[in-house]
Amino acid sequence: MKTLSLKNLAKTYFDPYAGSHVNAVHDVSIDVEQGEFVSVVGPSGCGKTTILNMIAGFIPYTGGEILLDGKPVKGPGPERGVVFQSFALFPWKTVLDNVGFGPKMRGVPKAERDRIAREYLALAGLSHAAHRYPNELSGGMQQRVGVVRALANNPDVLLMDEPFASVDAQTRMTLQEELTRIWQERKPTVLFITHDVPEAVFLANRVVVLSKGRVLDQIEIDLPRPRVWDDLVKDDKFKQLSARVLQMVRAA
Amino acid sequence: MEVTRSLKRRSPWLARGVNSLAGAAMFVAPLLALVAIWAVVVPLFDINPRVFPSVGAVGTAAMDSIRDGTLLAHVGASLLRVGLGTLIGVVTAVPLGIAMGVSPTVAAFLTPLFRFFSVLAGIAWIPIATLWFGYGFGAIVFVIFNAVFFVVAYNTLLGVKTIPHTLRNAASSLGAGRWALLTEVLLPGALPNIVTGVRTGLGFAWRGLIAAEMIATNVGLGYMLFVARDFYRTEVIVFGMIVIGVLWLLIDRLLLVPLERATIERWGMGRRA
Repeated sequence: MKTLSLKNLAKTYFDPYAGSHVNAVHDVSIDVEQGEFVSVVGPSGCGKTTILNMIAGFIPYTGGEILLDGKPVKGPGPERGVVFQSFALFPWKTVLDNVGFGPKMRGVPKAERDRIAREYLALAGLSHAAHRYPNELSGGMQQRVGVVRALANNPDVLLMDEPFASVDAQTRMTLQEELTRIWQERKPTVLFITHDVPEAVFLANRVVVLSKGRVLDQIEIDLPRPRVWDDLVKDDKFKQLSARVLQMVRAA
Repeated sequence: MEVTRSLKRRSPWLARGVNSLAGAAMFVAPLLALVAIWAVVVPLFDINPRVFPSVGAVGTAAMDSIRDGTLLAHVGASLLRVGLGTLIGVVTAVPLGIAMGVSPTVAAFLTPLFRFFSVLAGIAWIPIATLWFGYGFGAIVFVIFNAVFFVVAYNTLLGVKTIPHTLRNAASSLGAGRWALLTEVLLPGALPNIVTGVRTGLGFAWRGLIAAEMIATNVGLGYMLFVARDFYRTEVIVFGMIVIGVLWLLIDRLLLVPLERATIERWGMGRRA
């Protein structure tokens, strides 16, 4: 069964400065199977964030369709969890209440949603930070909260919009390793947007290369798991795959 | 500083007490200096009590008004008016401010009106307020309401506008509906600006109150000053002025500043207005 399916997706908007219509996305078709981790990679301006925003329901699409379990997607909804580049944690809520927000919206009683939130915080090694406020955490910790907040709502598909782009390089590698570990434990369906080629290859089962609003190619990443950087930086297959994707992105 | 630092290690609670005591002393010192100069200057130049009273005379006036209960009556009347006017102002202004912040059309339409009435708010309303409500309680509460309402509504609007759009997106992608968006995102997100608005508005209201009470009532701190003038009771006037200033400082320090600390600073949102 296909979980998420983009069929000939298109987005045209009117650019008031250029005075003309711009095709940000045209004719993009991607299928993400249940439990699959798909990275979408491409240079800035290739339309990858636009695609994610359309799937999340934040902006309308102008052509094609987005199907989740065969049903068309309209507006934002809890079955599509989102992890934002800017973390987007609620500053006025503790870490525990941030993670429990999705369950709260479903009407889960306080004691039960605290239990759920604690379980997911433990998954990200954040149990000690439950009662802190987001501004008291480092960027890396904030994004860990962002990831488990989305996961705690048990979405059908997890949409991640360059989630690790605003943390430092060391933290980013740790977060990538943690994400692959969590993915292996929980097997969520993930669509991961990034411009970072090694990141895309490291995380994914499949990498979709995007250019100028079109899908250029899709590459299967059949590297074994669990994946850790110390091993993969020396791995010839990882290097080959990364080089191949990088070439495509640069030629795009 | 050294004392408080070593105290902080042994007893954080006591250290905080010492710190706030030290802060209070720093705050009171210049005021005490002013009183000292006053105590020297009045007898030194033998100033006529009809022009300016001695410290002793003001002290006696204070004791008298406390003993016969008039001070309590005036302060009580003034605080009740400010409290009620502020309450009505905040309760009506916050929903309107949020509605304006959510809808750009409503905001664009109402903003010029709010600019206009912000300038007008205050004692300019006294003449027409007394025509509508008669002399007394209603007219004064209306003036207070006016001073608070426009400032708070405008600040709430600004507050809602400064909430990052990704926070709204995050909430709705976690399943928040319209009502949850309002109570979980828009209200807490606008709170720093709402608190700033209340603080500013209450400052306007306090000034407006004294002016309105001089004209439109027979009890209250403004009335107390105004009547004393008729009898050349400068010691009552000066005492009243001191009460007005001290009351405001108490409201600000004991009510509004802690409110800001308890929420906004803890969230790391700062004051954005």
